[in-house]
Amino acid sequence: MYRKQVRRRRAVLALLVIGSFVLLTITYGQGSNGVQRSVSTIFSPVQSAADRALKPARDLINWFDETFDAKGRNARLHGELEVARRQSVGAKAALAENAQLRKIVGLDRGGAIPSGYKPVTGRVIARSPTVWFADVTIDIGSSQGVELNDPVVNGDGLVGKVSSVIGGSAQVTLIADGSSAVAAKVVPPGIQGVIRPQVGEPGDLILDFIDSSKRVHAGEPVVTSGWSAQGLASHFPPNIPIGEVTRTPIVEQEAQQQVHVRPYADLRDLDLVQVLTGGSR
Amino acid sequence: MILTPKILARLLALVLLGVLLQLSFFSQVAVFHVSPDVLPALVVSLGLLGGSMTGAVTGFAVGFLLDCLLVAPLGGGSLVLLATGYLAGLFRERFEIHSRMVAPLLCMLGTLFAELGFGAVQLMLGIDSSVSTGVIRDMLIKSAYGFLLGWPIYLGVKRALRPALVEEPAARRRRPPTVLGA
Repeated sequence: MYRKQVRRRRAVLALLVIGSFVLLTITYGQGSNGVQRSVSTIFSPVQSAADRALKPARDLINWFDETFDAKGRNARLHGELEVARRQSVGAKAALAENAQLRKIVGLDRGGAIPSGYKPVTGRVIARSPTVWFADVTIDIGSSQGVELNDPVVNGDGLVGKVSSVIGGSAQVTLIADGSSAVAAKVVPPGIQGVIRPQVGEPGDLILDFIDSSKRVHAGEPVVTSGWSAQGLASHFPPNIPIGEVTRTPIVEQEAQQQVHVRPYADLRDLDLVQVLTGGSR
Repeated sequence: MILTPKILARLLALVLLGVLLQLSFFSQVAVFHVSPDVLPALVVSLGLLGGSMTGAVTGFAVGFLLDCLLVAPLGGGSLVLLATGYLAGLFRERFEIHSRMVAPLLCMLGTLFAELGFGAVQLMLGIDSSVSTGVIRDMLIKSAYGFLLGWPIYLGVKRALRPALVEEPAARRRRPPTVLGA
């Protein structure tokens, strides 16, 4: 009797382990499949409701964390404010000039969102618990016009792109996810590279494959390059702010052709995001 | 653990509630820039109370649901959490639990094991980016949260599954003997 029980238990365990490996083998690299879409469809209204109900408690806990964080940020922001003040005068002149140029070439662009894109605002309702995957779920989906690979931004800059979409929700793979790669350029020098994450450091991205003969300096902004060639095009339109160059060790620049970039968007604390729908990619 | 349809329904509710709370609440709060992961602690608690099979099956279910909702490769989370639950259950079957610290300590170890497991699965599937040492800090802080949240989670699960537990201290409640004819 006891042996039979032990055998049955071993069989269940073996079945579960084999089942896991079979699922991994079948579904790896496929994106979302029917089972995941069905489960997401069932759970997204519940997740949305739970997200709204738990928001006050979440905000309370995050308030404590942000208070600690704010002390450290204060000094850095004072320094940045000084620089921003000096730049604002020049920026105003540049804006006026830019507006005239835009009229001349007939472009109709506002801010960082390129023409042809319609921003749809959504709220983050779920987030991956492990540091190995940087994904969030948002409460807008194909019903609101969201499509696969649509770029996602927030008020600060680029956040990621849509990696899976169903009727009422979508999965966003953040630029800090291990699978992410964004074609980017440093402005004003225009040095091109690819923004890659470092798993476990969402606040420290790497601008990789840069031209080692050109020098990149700390403080220079990095934006999407939005390349397009021979029928292929980047998923991200050009000139969406990504972050700013923080560290540029000569050794890394010359030997590894990379510099460090701090993303403008706080990828650990996302609430409202905008999906740039439509667009001609 | 005595499994009846009512207890199975409670187990299912615990799994659903745990995954929903993790995705909608715990993953979105950050203390010291790290979000707690309560799912390994939940699976460890279920393994400690129900044994290795309960731990393994609920671990598989929690991982499967998590992978479905996060659109991650199916099977990865299941494999890691089923191992976590099974090992917790095996611990309960092999050793006597005397101290109150055992549950939170095992929740801490379970969280660390699960985080390492998620990393191993991710590396097994192929990772194109560099891995920062920040991952280690993240894992350690998550494990510390596992320790702190382990005890309340264990108590909550124990309370929810009380009717099914064989070793229930409440059964030892003493009543004065009734003397017939007194």
